[in-house]
Amino acid sequence: MRLALILLGALVLAFVATPLFIVVPMSFSTAVSLEFPPPGWWTGYYSAYFSDARWTRPTLNSLGIAAAVSILTVLLVTPATFALVRHRFAGKGLVNVMLMLPLAVPHIVMAIGYYAFLADIRLLQTFPGIILAHTALSVPMAFLVLSANLKGFDRSLERAAMSLGASPAATFRHVTLPVLWPGFAAAALFAFVQSFDETVVALFISGRDTETLPRKMFDSIRTTADPVIAVVSTLLFLAVAALVIVPVLWRTLSRRRSESRP
Amino acid sequence: MAQKGFTRRATLTLGAGTVAGLATPYFRRVRAAEVLHVNTWGGIWERAAIKNLFEPFTRDTGIEIRPVSPVSFAKLAQQVRSGAYEFDVTTLGAGEIIRANQANLVEKLDNTDLVKSPPFAGAAFQNGASSHAFATVIAYQKSKYPNGGPQNWAEFWDTQKFAGSRCMQRYASRILPIALAADGVPTEKLYPLDLNRAFRSLDKIKPAVRVWWTQGQQSQQLLRDGEIDCIALWHARTLELIDQGQPVEIVWNQAQIERAYWVVARGTPNRDNALRFLEAAIRPERVAGFCRDSLNGPLNPAAFNHVSAAEAARMPTAPAYKDKVFEQDILNFGGDVNAATQRFERWIGT
Amino acid sequence: MSAAVTASPEKQAGGSSLKSWLLLAPLMVFLAAFFLVPLAQVAVMSVTDPEFGFGHYVDIATDGFHLRVLLDTFLTALVVSLCCLLLGFPLAYAMAAAPGGMAAAMMVVVTMSFWTSFLVRTYAWMVLLGNRGPIAQFVQWLGFEAPELLFTRFSSTVAMTHILLPYMVLSLYGVLKRIEPSLPRSAASLGATPLSVIRHVVLPLAAPGIANGLTLVFVLCLGFYVTPILLGSPREQMVAGVIGQQVEEFLAFGEASAMAMVLLASTLVVLGLYHRRFGLDRLWG
Repeated sequence: MRLALILLGALVLAFVATPLFIVVPMSFSTAVSLEFPPPGWWTGYYSAYFSDARWTRPTLNSLGIAAAVSILTVLLVTPATFALVRHRFAGKGLVNVMLMLPLAVPHIVMAIGYYAFLADIRLLQTFPGIILAHTALSVPMAFLVLSANLKGFDRSLERAAMSLGASPAATFRHVTLPVLWPGFAAAALFAFVQSFDETVVALFISGRDTETLPRKMFDSIRTTADPVIAVVSTLLFLAVAALVIVPVLWRTLSRRRSESRP
Repeated sequence: MAQKGFTRRATLTLGAGTVAGLATPYFRRVRAAEVLHVNTWGGIWERAAIKNLFEPFTRDTGIEIRPVSPVSFAKLAQQVRSGAYEFDVTTLGAGEIIRANQANLVEKLDNTDLVKSPPFAGAAFQNGASSHAFATVIAYQKSKYPNGGPQNWAEFWDTQKFAGSRCMQRYASRILPIALAADGVPTEKLYPLDLNRAFRSLDKIKPAVRVWWTQGQQSQQLLRDGEIDCIALWHARTLELIDQGQPVEIVWNQAQIERAYWVVARGTPNRDNALRFLEAAIRPERVAGFCRDSLNGPLNPAAFNHVSAAEAARMPTAPAYKDKVFEQDILNFGGDVNAATQRFERWIGT
Repeated sequence: MSAAVTASPEKQAGGSSLKSWLLLAPLMVFLAAFFLVPLAQVAVMSVTDPEFGFGHYVDIATDGFHLRVLLDTFLTALVVSLCCLLLGFPLAYAMAAAPGGMAAAMMVVVTMSFWTSFLVRTYAWMVLLGNRGPIAQFVQWLGFEAPELLFTRFSSTVAMTHILLPYMVLSLYGVLKRIEPSLPRSAASLGATPLSVIRHVVLPLAAPGIANGLTLVFVLCLGFYVTPILLGSPREQMVAGVIGQQVEEFLAFGEASAMAMVLLASTLVVLGLYHRRFGLDRLWG
């Protein structure tokens, strides 16, 4: 029974990994659209992706938007997280709900909300409009990541620094920040990825010159369905792999190193 | 004025608007003075337009033209309402140009030469510049029907005799007349359309329709990948696939001829240049080149002076097809095109 | 302010309440302006566009079309949630049971899937299920006619299950990992059959994780937009698709907003039920 369950689990794992086995070969295929296994092999769609402004511009747009979103999100969320984790105050429960709300509201609801709202304030199809919307949607994840980190932070370090005469600002810079920076980095990363992948809201509020990569991919899947999408997908896989595997390897290696020490 | 629909909600957003509004001038993209954005259908259509319409226009005027796709009637309506323009000029079929005028989405041509001294009769229609004719034809997979596929719309509807999946365009004013033809109405007596009968006829084909296509390249992809066996699509896209060696057959019998028009999005800051483009785009030699490469038929009669007999024979306007095809009569539609479109969209989803 | 009286030295209050609000102010103002206002706008549009009244809600409740779409969406979400549970449980169980290195490798696969844009995964399923894809070719190789997989309810259900599965697996893994490994073993040594060990020991302990995963998947599935549009059947639209279409095609903001409010309310009801039993803060933990 146990074995059967584990075998079944392995099968499901294969199911989870399937897209990888499709998308990567597909990106080297000579197929015109959806055809698998590939009728022939080349790297032509890679050059097509890198040389076509219709793909590179949305890519750069998305990178820029996501970078701005991650900075803005961390700037806004950091002080709020400190307040929520370290202080008690009236209305805290409400604030908590407010912070998590963007995660609970379906994106299609926000998409039409932003569409009407940004048109009203003349920010529809502009970078600031998309950045503002994406930042709001990134707040909950960044907050969850940061507060988890902050809860694990040993405050006696700060108190020690203060008792030695360090000002609050200096304490923050020299004690709190160095210990918490992985938390900040993780929060920024979550916000970045959230924005970079966000599709539904971007479909409604981005425009000709502010087109994001997911929107371009959506249009492309719907019209030509050509393997350039597979190229983009493979590159995204690589980026995700780097994000997921590198920390695991790093942790394993550093553990080995510390274990091998006498 | 343009964003009438939104001002009602303005009070609500006043607070937030002020904050963002103050920042706006610093962010706003500086629009290059001499760029025109023109909506295209992509693929073969776009290549023909760039070579024969856009590049000559830029050579003459110095105005750069950037193609924007996909074509979307909805986008035209959205941008007029929201004031955020993705394109200055777009191309519309007959049904859409009626809807666009109803909703006041296109610039009036009254003060232009297209109306005041038209280069040919019918150069301007409903505030659009008459460009070319195209056909919606039946195409099918040869491998699926080795003994020949459906030869008319009634047979296209006959999923007993011609089993297999169907595909049609998500475009009410183009599909409703076809539905009547399939139901046995003679093609010369379609108009004004009996809409209820048309929808009853559509009910019969609905279970077989796997996809309602919206983009020209999408219709080609579905046919090329064999997702569908039998499709109603544009003749030019079918001919292109056949030229590429795809095992696809085209049926000219009962092809529906429709006209396409260039229009200027109302309220665009590039209105004057856009109007210049309209006038240039229907000049005989240019529209001839465009039609030659995009396999369409020019509406400007003088264009045929620039087209060889062999080329003309492939156009939907060719005499060889005259007795087989029928033409749309949009002014005699038989109801409100917009309401019919709404009904059609809802019908698809149920 | 009563909190101030009982405040521990760790959490000073009183004066720090003001400080807290100062720290919170930028984010709160931002969310109010750029999240609550757009959301409120949807609510307002649903009763004011094109004219004031609750007509859109009456339509939704009475015209058949909208109720059918809603029902379809709920059913789809339910099916997808159950599929995710059925597939996710064995995987999470295997991960919890596997030795360290193996479990880490499995975790990498699940996490990668989790982080991969769902457009990428939707595209992969289009290739897989397409008429010239591997499944169709295999069926043809067996000598049958290629089945029509794409643009059906089947294709969208498979893709959505695949896309949401990692949420389920990660939720389940969290609880399964915490179950003392000796517990099922001692139950087995007391004579319990493997099935009854799972039923009476593992499942009850995993219940919070199951509820967590089901809630997440169900709620996310309710609002699914892209995948059903790209590879679902045109006849079986989900609520989000209908909302988007009303805005995109017809600029019918009122109708779309009313549907959006119904979708939002359904989502909040499900989340509320979860909250009463388990506490919402654990859902995304």
